[in-house]
Amino acid sequence: MLWNLSIYFRMLSFQLRSQMQFRTSFWLDLFSTGFGNLVYVFSAALVIQRFGSIAGWSLGEVAFLIGMIEVSFAVMDMLFSGFDYDYFAAVVREGRFDQVMLRPVGLTWQVLGSRFLLRRLGRVFEGLFVLAFAFTQLDLTWTVGKILYLPVVLASQVLMFGALFIIGSTITFWTLQSIEAINIFTYGGNELMSYPMQIYPSWMQRFFTYIIPFIFLNFYPALYILDKPDPLHFPPYAPFIAPMVALSFFAVALWFWRLGINHYQSSGT
Amino acid sequence: MTNYRISVFLHLFRLAFQQQLTYRAAILAGLATNFFFALLRVAVLVALYGDQPEVNGLTLQDSITFVAVSQALIAFLFLFGAYDLMNTVYTGSIGSDLLRPLHLYTFWMARGLGRSLVNLIFRGLLLIAGFALVYPIVVPTRLDQVLAVILALALGWLVNFGWQFLVNLSAFWTPDARGIGRIAFTISQFLSGFIMPLRLYPDWFANLCRLTPFPAVVNTPVEVYLGVLTGRDLWLALFNQIVWALLFALICALVLRAGVRRLVIQGG
Repeated sequence: MLWNLSIYFRMLSFQLRSQMQFRTSFWLDLFSTGFGNLVYVFSAALVIQRFGSIAGWSLGEVAFLIGMIEVSFAVMDMLFSGFDYDYFAAVVREGRFDQVMLRPVGLTWQVLGSRFLLRRLGRVFEGLFVLAFAFTQLDLTWTVGKILYLPVVLASQVLMFGALFIIGSTITFWTLQSIEAINIFTYGGNELMSYPMQIYPSWMQRFFTYIIPFIFLNFYPALYILDKPDPLHFPPYAPFIAPMVALSFFAVALWFWRLGINHYQSSGT
Repeated sequence: MTNYRISVFLHLFRLAFQQQLTYRAAILAGLATNFFFALLRVAVLVALYGDQPEVNGLTLQDSITFVAVSQALIAFLFLFGAYDLMNTVYTGSIGSDLLRPLHLYTFWMARGLGRSLVNLIFRGLLLIAGFALVYPIVVPTRLDQVLAVILALALGWLVNFGWQFLVNLSAFWTPDARGIGRIAFTISQFLSGFIMPLRLYPDWFANLCRLTPFPAVVNTPVEVYLGVLTGRDLWLALFNQIVWALLFALICALVLRAGVRRLVIQGG
């Protein structure tokens, strides 16, 4: 484990050094990544302003939902760049995964360390900016519980999205190309969790409660932190199961990943 | 000579059409994603409308249709950006493209049109048809309205093509054209009304958008589709599209000439 970690950090330092070689490109990419996502938030803010609120949620409250999910998605997108399935599909297709398997380092760590896109920090900044905006709009009563729980929620969201990236990459062992439909759960999940869940049709709410339990990762924790009543009447512990949900989802993803590796046959390229 | 050019254009168009048709699995997967995002956006609009029947000339049904049609146009317009031309500048293959009997602008137009038409039929029409099963959406029925929609779509495509071509030409001057493209295409997506119908923005912002060429790409064709633009407004909107399409073609021709003059291609 320690050996794996030290290799992982060594791989990261190579990545960072090489990415900083082209300074202008780097800053331009950093900016465009943040800007691209900010535009969507700005657009939503303008429209919510025209209408006043959405399903009883003020602009500040929606900004809180968006800010949380943007920060965690962006952190995940950076940490799990190696599991970005569009990229990983190419690794499998070109037979580069063979090299990974020949090295005496844990496979998961190698894939994680193989790619770390620092430019995705641009989106982290964007998310923090939206979150900061939310806090200026909201008059929150902070308690010790809330302050302690907030980072736990963010970490759970990172794990949840990371699990989906791992699942998306594992599927490419069989398909050899990235299946765009998984975007529904990753990028779509990010969009879905940007708004209060009661706005969605009931079949969608059920799907994202029982099959992919996104509802517990952003919406319920937000109800607790913003002190809002639950319109869906879930049990009172619903806001607090985010870490359990994320950890079990991540465990399933890792199990599937191992299954995929055992089934892996080189593409022979 | 003109006849010859037209036949080359049509040939390129046909090739691109057939090439795009081979990616059937990708078309279906893209369709599913666009469909899901359309469902999410519609949920947001339904919640925003609450019990208001109409906002700034758009009924809830209009707004739902707006979302479905704009999602249907993503692949037709390559709304998330096109980077093919700049890659030919970086790889040097633009050298042989410049030797072709067609102007580079019409050469790429033929290829783009072929791919876009496949996307319009198989991703656009299918998405709208599928969406009509879930939500009651507006469908244009009068013949003149259908013709106006086709015209507005074609003109919107031309405006967008000119804009994307121009952004790609930046590759002649900088190695960072990709980054520039990402920012430029984000701006055009936003101001075109793709993210939200322009009428739902505060008026000051919508008016600001209308000073730019971008509403001609998405907002105008969709409003023509909905039938909210009629009579004089309709003619003005179409005229506005024509002006931007011609202006972009002219600017692209001038910028291309300046770019080619400084182009150096390594042999090898």
